[in-house]
Amino acid sequence: MTDYNLLKAVAGFSEALQAKKELERNGTDFTQAQGEVRRTVAQLHPKRLALRVAALIDETPSTKTLRMVAEDGSELPPFQAGQYVNLFVEIDGVSTARPYAISSAPSQHQHYDLTVKRAQGGFVSNHLMDCVAAGQHLLSSGPMGTFHHNPLFHGDDLVFLAGGSGSAPARSMLLDILERGLPFRFHLIYVNSYADDVIFAEELRALAQHHTNFRLTELVSRPPAGYQGHSGRLTQELLTNLMAEGGPIDQKMFYICGPTPFNDSGLAMLKALGVPRRRIRVEANGAPKTPHLQPGWPDQVSPDTEVTVTVRGQGSFITRASEPLLNALERNGYGTENACRSGECSLCRVKLVSGSVFNPREAHLRKSDQSFGWVYSCVAFPTSDIEIQL
Amino acid sequence: MKQYDAVVIGAGNAGLTAATALQRGGCNTLLLERHNVPGGCGTSFVRGDFEFEVALHQLSGMGTEEKPFIMRKLFHKLGVMDKVEFVQEHALYRLVVPGTLDITLPASWSGIKRLLQERFPDESESIARFMQVCEQITVEGYTALPQARRAGDEATLRATCPCYVQYGLRSAREVLDEFFADAQLKGVLATYWMYIGVPPSMTPFADLAAMFYAYAAFKPWHIKGGSQAMSSALVDSFTEAGGEVRFNCSVEKILTQDGHASGVRLEDGEEVTCDTVVSNISPLMTFNELLDQPLPAPIAQDFKSRRMGTSAFVIYLGLDCTPEELGVEVASTFIYETLDEERIHQSMESLEPPLGGMLTCYNLDDPDFAPTGKSLVALVCLQYGEPWKDVPPPQYAQTKYAFAEKLLTLIEKVFPKVCQHIEEVEVATPLTMMRYLNTPGGAIYGFQQSTQDSALLRERLDAVVPGLYTAGSWTSMGGFQPTYIAGESTARAILKQRAKALEAQHAQEANHD
Repeated sequence: MTDYNLLKAVAGFSEALQAKKELERNGTDFTQAQGEVRRTVAQLHPKRLALRVAALIDETPSTKTLRMVAEDGSELPPFQAGQYVNLFVEIDGVSTARPYAISSAPSQHQHYDLTVKRAQGGFVSNHLMDCVAAGQHLLSSGPMGTFHHNPLFHGDDLVFLAGGSGSAPARSMLLDILERGLPFRFHLIYVNSYADDVIFAEELRALAQHHTNFRLTELVSRPPAGYQGHSGRLTQELLTNLMAEGGPIDQKMFYICGPTPFNDSGLAMLKALGVPRRRIRVEANGAPKTPHLQPGWPDQVSPDTEVTVTVRGQGSFITRASEPLLNALERNGYGTENACRSGECSLCRVKLVSGSVFNPREAHLRKSDQSFGWVYSCVAFPTSDIEIQL
Repeated sequence: MKQYDAVVIGAGNAGLTAATALQRGGCNTLLLERHNVPGGCGTSFVRGDFEFEVALHQLSGMGTEEKPFIMRKLFHKLGVMDKVEFVQEHALYRLVVPGTLDITLPASWSGIKRLLQERFPDESESIARFMQVCEQITVEGYTALPQARRAGDEATLRATCPCYVQYGLRSAREVLDEFFADAQLKGVLATYWMYIGVPPSMTPFADLAAMFYAYAAFKPWHIKGGSQAMSSALVDSFTEAGGEVRFNCSVEKILTQDGHASGVRLEDGEEVTCDTVVSNISPLMTFNELLDQPLPAPIAQDFKSRRMGTSAFVIYLGLDCTPEELGVEVASTFIYETLDEERIHQSMESLEPPLGGMLTCYNLDDPDFAPTGKSLVALVCLQYGEPWKDVPPPQYAQTKYAFAEKLLTLIEKVFPKVCQHIEEVEVATPLTMMRYLNTPGGAIYGFQQSTQDSALLRERLDAVVPGLYTAGSWTSMGGFQPTYIAGESTARAILKQRAKALEAQHAQEANHD
């Protein structure tokens, strides 16, 4: 029971009580708002999207685009050009997922194009290339990621260094700029190994011809005999020459997306050109392939060392030190929520109960995660027998 | 089906302190969190080289080691004092009304008095009296008032809580007007209304006074590693005591048996049984969406006099310059376009340029908070969720950036270089708050904290459904100190109730023997 009689002695109490009664008279019990939070959030950030493969588009010998539509035919959540969805698959009884940048324009609300390039030995890319057919149903995360143009500081002079399928987010950004008529300059420097394996080649060349604010520079590192364009890798000299045009270098915003060595060398060349780090965005690119070459990897542990992973209360299995923990978990029938699989989104965070793991430079751990023994399983490498809690 | 003594839904501040206190009090507890990290508001995220504090600007109620106050004792009791480090801020705040006023208050009660008396000599005597009242009403509120209420005696109340009786539930506006003539002085003293979410005309004086006094006397503090470190420390203490926590785990239903809370059903269909459920999510969700029974009448009645509280719009900035280069001299700077708080409050209901905002620089007092040579900064203005709910999804991103530009324009009036050094930026709107906090309207402080919302005018919602308790900003005040306290005090009430029930059971068994 409240003590209203006592509290009446407090100045303002009676007036407040009166005002509260007034509110009661014209207020509601909020039942009309049931489900509102869920609906509002799901429009922008659904935890899962039920998708269907509407079409498979052959892009190059190594690459296909999966055109994904909502299973129920509704509009898909909006995204910012450059963002990705995490695509969930089941392959031979193993549930896993991979993030793919959306290559279609954000104005296209009916489908997301996911452009997949076959990776040598790639567990998921080969499955998507070979085993997925139109009509198939797949789940994905909602669109996520920070690799997109940010109007608060990116400016209007944009340079995109793309390698291979790194052109997927570049295409989305380009289409967005052109369709919305944004007053940006967009220079795509696109490096591929083979001249016949250039994704979106014709479309990009046509757009470059028709739009003065889009410049395309193509490079082929293993050109066929008689190739007319730029041959070889992107060099400091070529990049310097290319950047001589346009606005001042520190006003440009650079985006880098490609294989890890491509990203690393691109970043180093831009830094050498004097570009401030804040003007360079590098897309995350999965777990490192050679974590044992990074500083901090324990000397006595070889990448092939076998370690036992115990999942508290559930079981255990043996894996290799150089296999990302999340992949090993999935291969052995376990799993955790995940999205970027590159050490950034933190959704795959698990508790390390005992043992040690190597956290590579890709692991963007919180300070408190480090002090309390939490790791991001997508980029954690067990360097001893470990016990974890899912 | 697993059996626990208690299930806590939500690992926000109050959920964490409730779960930790319950487990340490011998109550076998399961803590459920739908997100992948603990904390709710008390969390952080990483972008590039920066770990961004999401919500904690200044932690109140700590006191110093020599003169500890309530929070230090609470954290000690919860077993986290040796798991986290605290850093004291050297200033309370700077308030700038561009073109009108620029003043910095030290984090010292006597220092503030000296400064204000120098700056506003005509009001010197009123300042002394006002500060005396603030101090006394705070002390009364913490100790004498609860005692007098327990005694239930008006003479005791009048004798032990004279300030509370004289000023307690009058609006802060009214009391400020009674003491002072100078609008600038009143603005300076009311600056913290932003931490409550409603202007001084709607705030009970006792709340604003307590906030002002408590920050100044017990100092504003900062947690090393941010509020996420505290959230993780609480989980650590909870699991050390034998508690079980599950992340990425949503609750679908709160189950009852014969009207008594009996467990929860998880999103994957698993059912967990328990005698006590503590809900750290909003009571609106708890009763209108999760409870497997119709909304109980007393709770429906309570909801009718509630109004949705404010959300916030935040720009998290990682800058490649030092605080000095940015021109930051104190961690917390409030920038108000006008001394008229009513107008600022009105601007919170629209997407028009915000009239009030703040900048918090986290690495000023704690250099570890950002890499060397860089700065971690949050820009905030309060915003109600309503205008954001109407933004069509395809226009959401552009609306967000357009509004961010407006907040930046306000902040640039004091910190003109803020846009020149951006290395990382993340923008959170009321819909972001809604997404991560799961609160209607993206509310950050719970219901609108007007005088009518005061706990003094409210029955507790606890145990209306026996065994179901609430803990959080919705049924106490919003903010870190109040929510940490609310969870622990809910746990205490449950432990007391359980002890009583156990005693009764033993007595009954003894009678049967």
